[in-house]
Amino acid sequence: MKRIRLGVLLSYIILFIFAIVTVFPFIYMILGGLMSFQETTSIPPTLFPHHFEWSNYAKVFARAPFARYFFNTILTASITTIISLFNSLLGAFAMVNLNFKGKKIVQLVLLSLLMVPGEAIIFTNYNTIAHMGLLNTYIGLVLPFLTSIFYMYYLQSYFGSISTTIYKAAMIDGASDWDYIWKILVPMSKGGLFTVGLLSFISGWNSFLWPLLVTNEDTMRLLNNGLSSFASDAGSETQLQLAAATLTVLPILVLYLIFRKQIIKGVVRNDLKG
Amino acid sequence: MKTNQKKAWLFLAPTIIFVTLFSIYPILRAFSMSFQNGPLINLTWAGFNNYQYIFKDPEFWLAIKNTVLYAVISVPIGLAISIMLAWIIFAKVKHKSFFETTFFMPYVTSTIAIGIVFRYIFNGDYGMLNFLLRSIHLPAPDWIDDPAMSLTTIIIFGIWTSLAFNIVILMGALRNIDPSFYTIADMYGASGRDKFWRITMPELVPTLAFLLTMNIIGAFKIYTSVYALFNGQAGVGNSGTTAVFYIYNKFQIVGTPGVAMAATVILFLIILFATFLQRKMMKKIGEN
Amino acid sequence: MDNNKFVEVKNLRKVYDNGHEAIKNVSFSVKKGDLVCLLGPSGCGKTTILNILAGLLNPTSGEILFDGKSVVEVASKDRQIGYVFQNYALYPHMNVLQNVMFPLTVGKNKKSKAQAREIAQKYMKLTQIMDIADQKPGNLSGGQQQRVAIARALVQEPKILLMDEPLSNLDARLRLKIREEIRSLVKSVGITTLFVTHDQEEALSIGDKIILFNDGVIQQDDLGENFYLEPNNYFVANFVGNPVINNFKITKSANELRTKYFTLDLAKLNQQRFKRQLVDGDYILSVRPENIIPEEGGVFHTKVADVELIGRERILKFNYDQVQGRSLVSLESSIKRGDEIDLKIRLDRAFIFTTDGERVY
Repeated sequence: MKRIRLGVLLSYIILFIFAIVTVFPFIYMILGGLMSFQETTSIPPTLFPHHFEWSNYAKVFARAPFARYFFNTILTASITTIISLFNSLLGAFAMVNLNFKGKKIVQLVLLSLLMVPGEAIIFTNYNTIAHMGLLNTYIGLVLPFLTSIFYMYYLQSYFGSISTTIYKAAMIDGASDWDYIWKILVPMSKGGLFTVGLLSFISGWNSFLWPLLVTNEDTMRLLNNGLSSFASDAGSETQLQLAAATLTVLPILVLYLIFRKQIIKGVVRNDLKG
Repeated sequence: MKTNQKKAWLFLAPTIIFVTLFSIYPILRAFSMSFQNGPLINLTWAGFNNYQYIFKDPEFWLAIKNTVLYAVISVPIGLAISIMLAWIIFAKVKHKSFFETTFFMPYVTSTIAIGIVFRYIFNGDYGMLNFLLRSIHLPAPDWIDDPAMSLTTIIIFGIWTSLAFNIVILMGALRNIDPSFYTIADMYGASGRDKFWRITMPELVPTLAFLLTMNIIGAFKIYTSVYALFNGQAGVGNSGTTAVFYIYNKFQIVGTPGVAMAATVILFLIILFATFLQRKMMKKIGEN
Repeated sequence: MDNNKFVEVKNLRKVYDNGHEAIKNVSFSVKKGDLVCLLGPSGCGKTTILNILAGLLNPTSGEILFDGKSVVEVASKDRQIGYVFQNYALYPHMNVLQNVMFPLTVGKNKKSKAQAREIAQKYMKLTQIMDIADQKPGNLSGGQQQRVAIARALVQEPKILLMDEPLSNLDARLRLKIREEIRSLVKSVGITTLFVTHDQEEALSIGDKIILFNDGVIQQDDLGENFYLEPNNYFVANFVGNPVINNFKITKSANELRTKYFTLDLAKLNQQRFKRQLVDGDYILSVRPENIIPEEGGVFHTKVADVELIGRERILKFNYDQVQGRSLVSLESSIKRGDEIDLKIRLDRAFIFTTDGERVY
């Protein structure tokens, strides 16, 4: 009995150490963004600011067009999410409910493309976008991401779990494919679509390498690019860097805490099938 | 129902168009560019020159060495810690979903932003980490500014980032293990250790294989976290350069896209080979 | 119009992509207003036929006529059919009323909301589901879901109703009740119905006629009682009947039918029941349990291996040829396990099949 309790105690200790290691950077980021410059660089380090330096945020907004970054990021992440969700929805429907010659080949090609690392094609995509004259435009930022094999694959597994007789019943009831998609498939898969939407939005929000390539004007930058260039420009003003980092992370963190169940369930579900 | 419903192509059209344009074409193009010389607007045939160039380029070898070392060290350690934590959360404690939520946080947050925080925590003078190390009388290296430490720093950050996804996936797999396996084991008087090694681990093999693949692919693509940690550089004096860094540099900064694409092809082949190798390995383990 | 051939299937064949031939040259017809059961073991092709009739599957070859008109090229929604699925296939996100109304809110038959509601309510009254109109399918019992599925199938006022094992998801008692309801419902609506089942008892009780399938081929297309009295072949004799029929390996030589256990005089058989002259060789003698009964001086002397009580009758079990034989006796019988008895075979109710299953007597 004693040994078991000791084991549990040890487990809790290990768990708490790692939990602190995981959460500490977030807390330190938020607190550091409210410190004075002296506090951020003091030895020994300050953990808790004497008084909250809210003016750091005003300075961040004054030094770099963060409002514009926010706008750009929300716009591109939303467009990417909506259109790629729409395309994935139609594609997944066809793959699950329709029979056609070449279906197996399509599936095979898509699955193999899933294995190709994005970094291997991002530079040639840059080339394509540059050729189209779309550098520093919103279209250029979103175009390669308007369809997602990954999310289509996810939706396929989601739709696949709906009994095939539902589709047959709808056909006999006189519904067209379009009716079926919007009146039955979408309402039945709300949870899955929502999760995919969230994950897509989050990855759009956190995108970095692609916007770094295709934008060089400050007004077209997304949050993470804006943040990294601000971090270089702000140089040694650590407290401003941390405030800017907080601005970037906090919205997504809030979104995550609200929808944590859906997000975790979605991630577990789609990846176990991989 | 028709056995060949041509309307399917209509529904697939957007996907196929975008995939062809932005996934298939770029792969072919990357391959062909790797045999070409000159700037983007004026490419000429170069045969194997680019490949010869990168194989002679010490910077390329450093990038590959760093990337491989990073993958080989960070992936197993990250996975081992993840298994330990997932098992503890699953088997030992209450408030499972609280811990799950906590450990998953890094997955949804921007690497750039959190990299800035780590750069600060790792700071040799006023960083929190070195303050802690000094207070328990351990050596406090200069994590960011010492070229010899670059890779270590990148690996620590990499492990920290990788735990989130691994733990959540492992938790999902643990929940999927039929609880009656444990009930039966209890009836035969199996110890906690027996249960872990003889039921849990074998049941986790497919999940571990999947995570290993994902982690290795992810590790070979490492770029953003280095960029964030070293403020847009690959560590002091390029000491922490990685394969993608090398590619980016050759493509965008130096302006030799052919060389960049040759490196891309090599990186792609390495990833393919590593994935293949670990699948074989996992199959062996699964069979035993 | 030929009302005797309201549904007509000619030379239907279906080969799946994997090469499996599910339906081999099947032809049958259904009279207007009849309730016909498609019966057979699982994998016999009966559901495939229903799916082909519904237009959910394309036949490889063959013709299907509804009311004299070919429907092979007609889409499901234009075939004027209703379909009740084995798992009901109710839309989980819609309530009962919305489910029943759905066929009237999409496609060519689209009605105004008020009209659709009125028609839906008519059929909901008929199937007695008005009181659960605003419930979601997930909250309903199996029997209630079944009724909703039937109401939804009828709401377009189709000419033909197709039902695929509609009772198999219900518990035994409810199954009896619902099957009576289904019969009286389709009879009152007057709709021509094809009803797929693997349960012979269900088929016998509900069907005006039964079509028995096996291996993608029609084994017998007949009235229910004939499956007992005059089975077409060995398969039918063994598939229909509970407890199952007893089969004895017999050899015909000269004027005798010989088994390991007893010998029969060919002359004692009803000569009119022979389909053809028997040549010497091996055959199978099949006798239903009610036609092999204990009687002093019977041909088959054996020992009772076990006695089983089934309601108002008993089954005597005896061993032969490494199988267990069954004899049906009344509840009052005093025969016990271990008793030695003589069994008499009612020869004018027995069947003889060739080893290929063809019936010769």
